[in-house]
Amino acid sequence: MGKGRIGNNIRKLRFFRDEMTQQQLAEKVGVTRQTIIAMEQDKYSPSLELAFRIARVFEVPLEEVFSYQPENELT
Amino acid sequence: MSFQEKNIAVSLSTFTVILGFYLIRIFQLVQSESFNSTNVFRLWGIIAILAVIGTILATIFTHIAGGIVHKVRTNEDPHIEDIQDERDQIIDLKGTRVAYTFSSIGVALSMLTFVFGKPPLVMFSLLIFFGVLAQVIADIWRLTLYRRGF
Repeated sequence: MGKGRIGNNIRKLRFFRDEMTQQQLAEKVGVTRQTIIAMEQDKYSPSLELAFRIARVFEVPLEEVFSYQPENELT
Repeated sequence: MSFQEKNIAVSLSTFTVILGFYLIRIFQLVQSESFNSTNVFRLWGIIAILAVIGTILATIFTHIAGGIVHKVRTNEDPHIEDIQDERDQIIDLKGTRVAYTFSSIGVALSMLTFVFGKPPLVMFSLLIFFGVLAQVIADIWRLTLYRRGF
């Protein structure tokens, strides 16, 4: 089974939260700023727990933060 | 450069120096025809002590020096982000996997010298060489993962 692509809207959600900084988000969810940067650049897919923590910070459902595209649907 | 990256860079520098020192000492022992068990095992001890004490001292010195430079440049207190999050842990584990792979190959190669009739001291010398080399390669791999983002 191949790997799909996990995308996210963290950058957009930060913008709509009064341009919350990466450092502020990192402190709220308990990771380093580098991890937030890696996630925004789609280089790192977080664990389920971290994904839920990020969704809670933005007060939105998980699907509004993260999206999954299976390999066969990638263009 | 993050706190974790600095620690890895320090470890990489320390182990590279240790590897260089080890190779030079082994070369000197062979040249002076004093490549015997007493000298080789003494060298093992020195390398083990250097690896532990050298890494600790180099890490402390780097963070103190880094803090002073930061304070002088920006007049702000240095903020040390010393948490290790899940991404740091995964990168650490990936590095450890690389280290184990290279050490295993090293152990196999060291055993081969024994099989081909070389004295046991050659095998022991190669064992520590590959052990330190595996650490260096693992640190390079960890730094690469940090630089790439993951």
